[in-house]
Amino acid sequence: MAPTATPKRLSLSEWFKTITFYEIFVGMKATLSHLLNYRPVTLQYPHEKRTLPDNYRGMLALLRYDDGTEKCVGCDLCEAACPSRVIRVVSAEVPGEPTKRYSKEYYMDMTRCLFCGMCVDACPVDALGMTREFEWAVYDKRQLHLDKQQLLAIGDRSFPIREKRLELQHPNVAFFNVPFKHVPPKPN
Amino acid sequence: MSEFGLRLAISLTQIAAVMGIVVVTVLLLTLAERKVLGWMQDRMGPMEVGPYGILQPFADAIKLFFKEDIIPAGANKFLFTLAPILCLIPAFIGFAVIPWGPNWTIEVGGITVKPFVISDINIGILYILAFASIGAYGIILGGWASNSKYSLLGGLRSAAQIISYELNVGLSIIGVIILTGSLSLVKITDAQAGWFWNWYLFALPAPQIFAFVVFVISSVAETNRVPFDLPEAESELVAGFFTEYSGLRFAFFFLAEYANMVLVSCVAAALFLGGWNAPYPGTILELLGAPSLAWVENIMWFAVKAYSFLFLFFWLRATLPRLRYDQLMKFGWKVMLPIALANIVVTSIAVFITQ
Repeated sequence: MAPTATPKRLSLSEWFKTITFYEIFVGMKATLSHLLNYRPVTLQYPHEKRTLPDNYRGMLALLRYDDGTEKCVGCDLCEAACPSRVIRVVSAEVPGEPTKRYSKEYYMDMTRCLFCGMCVDACPVDALGMTREFEWAVYDKRQLHLDKQQLLAIGDRSFPIREKRLELQHPNVAFFNVPFKHVPPKPN
Repeated sequence: MSEFGLRLAISLTQIAAVMGIVVVTVLLLTLAERKVLGWMQDRMGPMEVGPYGILQPFADAIKLFFKEDIIPAGANKFLFTLAPILCLIPAFIGFAVIPWGPNWTIEVGGITVKPFVISDINIGILYILAFASIGAYGIILGGWASNSKYSLLGGLRSAAQIISYELNVGLSIIGVIILTGSLSLVKITDAQAGWFWNWYLFALPAPQIFAFVVFVISSVAETNRVPFDLPEAESELVAGFFTEYSGLRFAFFFLAEYANMVLVSCVAAALFLGGWNAPYPGTILELLGAPSLAWVENIMWFAVKAYSFLFLFFWLRATLPRLRYDQLMKFGWKVMLPIALANIVVTSIAVFITQ
């Protein structure tokens, strides 16, 4: 035989609360108090935008030095660091300068990017940056396959202040652009 | 003009006025509901169309008018077309017997006309109940004719729900009818004149407070509103009985639901809260020396009562979750029905003793 549920005995106050719909009135009081102290949490998004945090990780971009040359040295470390294989780099020698390399082609498939920022961390010359752009809805998915010129354009519009070339920076800045912590940076 | 022609013209004018007021109220309600719900839930409600979203009902209306009208392939075309009309007409037709203002008569071309009620028939409240039941057919037939499982389930639920709760509406009204001795809404309202303790909610010898509670709860159930919105339970049945409807036919169902809300609010105001009577005897405008304008104040009081009921509908919707089906039935038959029956007995005894 299936166990029959024994009806719980209500105390007098519980019984009184049941017949007077006490809980319902408590709930209605709560909703009414929200109506009277109307403080909406809504942000009217296209019209007003929330402040982004300082370390916001938005759209990726390729950066330039202040003389307009690309920072990227075509080392492929970003491609290696990327967990979702967003980046594809085709590296090549700089014509006429056999010791220097650059990225001949640079592709990003932003449909797959998860904005972890590992490529930015991996880059030895700080050639990649994360902008604060996030409104990248498109009608065609293929518009999110970005090439080098598009990524440089994003970098140009998001980072107007550019770094000097490495050899013109403070001498204590190491080759890989990691400052020594015990030496204060020299003012420009 | 012949007498018949004049009567027809006057009646049509009254009907047009009442229909206009009801449709405007419904338009207002669609916006007010979304706004009030939003405010109660710390949202803003519609904000895009017009300043603070006040033009949203018109945008909705335009959208519904120009949407494609789809009849599903397996649907019964005749009943599918009939159902929204069957739902809408009873919702509007009930307003014919609602007294909006004082029970005056004016002479127009030798005919006595009651300007604030379209038709003072002596079975007013029965007429409203009868047509409300026909409205249930619209829902059930719409659910069946759509040839969709969700619609059918919604229709079945509404059949059971409306039958159970209409009983309670009818029984809770009987107390008021015993006290008045009339089914006419005009006479019922007139009998509640004077101070607010003459309203049947508080009136001696038998205050109808329990009947009022039963009536309000049952009318929420009858108009398929939260927390009794099982026929259109959107989290279970897509949209219930009007899942397959689109465009203007959907708008008809929508309109019918809101018109029913307004009708039920008006009936509750007329039966229990004294209708157009102010909570004090007479009117202030009369005391100020403008007795011909007293109807403005009376209509205002009626509107205040009806709109506070409509606000209660929104308030309940913002607060309560949906009942389970067995809870709904248990509540209707085991709680509401005995209270309504006991109220009849108590009222009858009280009236018998005091008379």
